Amino acid sequence: MFAEFKHTLRRMRGQMIGWGIGLTLYGVLMVSLYDSIVGIEGFQELIASYPPELMAFFGDADFLAITTPKGYVGLYYFNYMTVIIGIFAVAACASLLVGDEEKGILDLVMAHPVSRTALFWGRLLGYVAATVVILLVGYLSWFIPSGSSGLDLSWIELLKPFLPLFAELLLFGTLALLLSIVLPSGRIAGMISGGLLIANYLLIGLSNLNESLKSFIEFTPLQYYQGGDAITELNWGWLAGLLAVSAAFALLAWWRFQRRDIRVGGEGGWRLPSLPFRCRAATGVSRHSV
Amino acid sequence: MSEKIALMTQGLTKSYGKVRALRGVDLEVRRGEIFGYLGPNGAGKTTTIRCLLDLIRPDGGAVRVLGIDPQAEPVEVHAHTGYLPGELQLDPNMSVEGALRYFISLRGNKVDWGFVRQLTKRFDLPLKPAIKNLSHGNKQKVGIVQALMHRPQLLLLDEPTLGLDPLMQHEVYRLLKEARADGATVFFSSHIMSEVEIVAERVAIIREGVIVEVAETASLINRALHRARIRFKQPVDIGPLSNVPGVVVLSQDDSTSVLLQVEGEMDDLIKAVAAFPVSDFETERSSLEEIFLAYYEAGDKEAS
Repeated sequence: MFAEFKHTLRRMRGQMIGWGIGLTLYGVLMVSLYDSIVGIEGFQELIASYPPELMAFFGDADFLAITTPKGYVGLYYFNYMTVIIGIFAVAACASLLVGDEEKGILDLVMAHPVSRTALFWGRLLGYVAATVVILLVGYLSWFIPSGSSGLDLSWIELLKPFLPLFAELLLFGTLALLLSIVLPSGRIAGMISGGLLIANYLLIGLSNLNESLKSFIEFTPLQYYQGGDAITELNWGWLAGLLAVSAAFALLAWWRFQRRDIRVGGEGGWRLPSLPFRCRAATGVSRHSV
Repeated sequence: MSEKIALMTQGLTKSYGKVRALRGVDLEVRRGEIFGYLGPNGAGKTTTIRCLLDLIRPDGGAVRVLGIDPQAEPVEVHAHTGYLPGELQLDPNMSVEGALRYFISLRGNKVDWGFVRQLTKRFDLPLKPAIKNLSHGNKQKVGIVQALMHRPQLLLLDEPTLGLDPLMQHEVYRLLKEARADGATVFFSSHIMSEVEIVAERVAIIREGVIVEVAETASLINRALHRARIRFKQPVDIGPLSNVPGVVVLSQDDSTSVLLQVEGEMDDLIKAVAAFPVSDFETERSSLEEIFLAYYEAGDKEAS
């Protein structure tokens, strides 16, 4: 399992470096801008004059508290980092096993003395470690420069919102992994998982505008993502719930992977039925001649 | 299962949707032999090998590899097996050395790197280039090296010489014979008859998911049709020759030359020819390719 863990980390080093650089630049920039932004005269009034629908979409509380460290970090980072880093999570997990399978590489790897269990968990742990590294870089990019700015948050306060962010990345990552093993291609699994993530994000925003959506979003994972609110009051029950669902997805994916044929030539793929007009075209019969 | 049997399948079946890839494959491969598995594309060769390694699960039948059930103990089977897939794919971003070291790590780092270097030198395979920059032949060499590097008890090779030049093909044949000499069993699939004829001691012919023949390579060739052209010193009556069991006269140019087809052993014909004033006796045996094609043509006729 360690060999696969190491191999996965090595293959993800490019993603870790890329995401790490991006998040570092963004974090350092936002921290350095904090004092300037909150120091703008009439900034609070300017924010309050924004269209109420816009503020509701992103959460009134964060918008109105934008001049506080909690509101600032919440609005400019945690509010949408689930979607931004979520793209990495979904893409990485949708191809974690099936990517190699579709390229025909997994066939030879699995003919070595490594069990399907070791291969699965070795790779999943590699993804988890890569996610932790990316989030750690993100955390440090806020925490280190915050000492020289007015962004007055302790190391533990700043760390807390990263925990639900990690849990959400794990949840959507394991969902993509499960779908990649069940569905005929990793690309479809990535598209569905990514689509669900973005749809869930938009639904949360829209539910602030439309009360009737509130009951529906109770069943969606991003409802239990706490964002910047976790700085002051982290809900450990919600965090545990997200981790439990992620574990359930991972276990289901592992169970399915144990019992599944390793494909090399697209066997087991789904075929869409031919459309009638395609059949006519193929047989050379036009509509006019029928 | 006898300890002398390296591989055994009984009634092996496997379907991909409506396509029945294997329809009850029965095979026995003895320990220490080189066994050729012949069949054209789509006959079921790769499916059989992938069932042996538990990469795919058969729908029915039994499999034993080195006395082990691969579905129950796949890791144990893989530990003692070297595998070369038919359509070898490697991580294109790794170097040759990186790929080989990765495979070694999957084997618990229990591979002698010195032996790996010997193999790469024999194949003239450089270690530094990235896989993506290698020719098809060089990629195939990486596949062969990783299959042999841990000195496995069993080699499962799917079209091992695919893409190799003739020199390297012969190097592979030499390595297979050396592996056999060290006690390994070699099971390889091919649709190149000449290489099976050179290397394999026994062959199985698979046709549309069914084994149609298992025999020693030499006996299969000997058992098949021969052609004999006989030239006589003077005109003769060839009546006694055409009466020899298994002999058919194909053509007779004049009374001094005849072309015969002989089925089975040549002994009776040679004894009969001894009574004639022979100036030249030329025989031509069927190649394995002709035998192979005969099985397929017979099958096609049955099907039609």
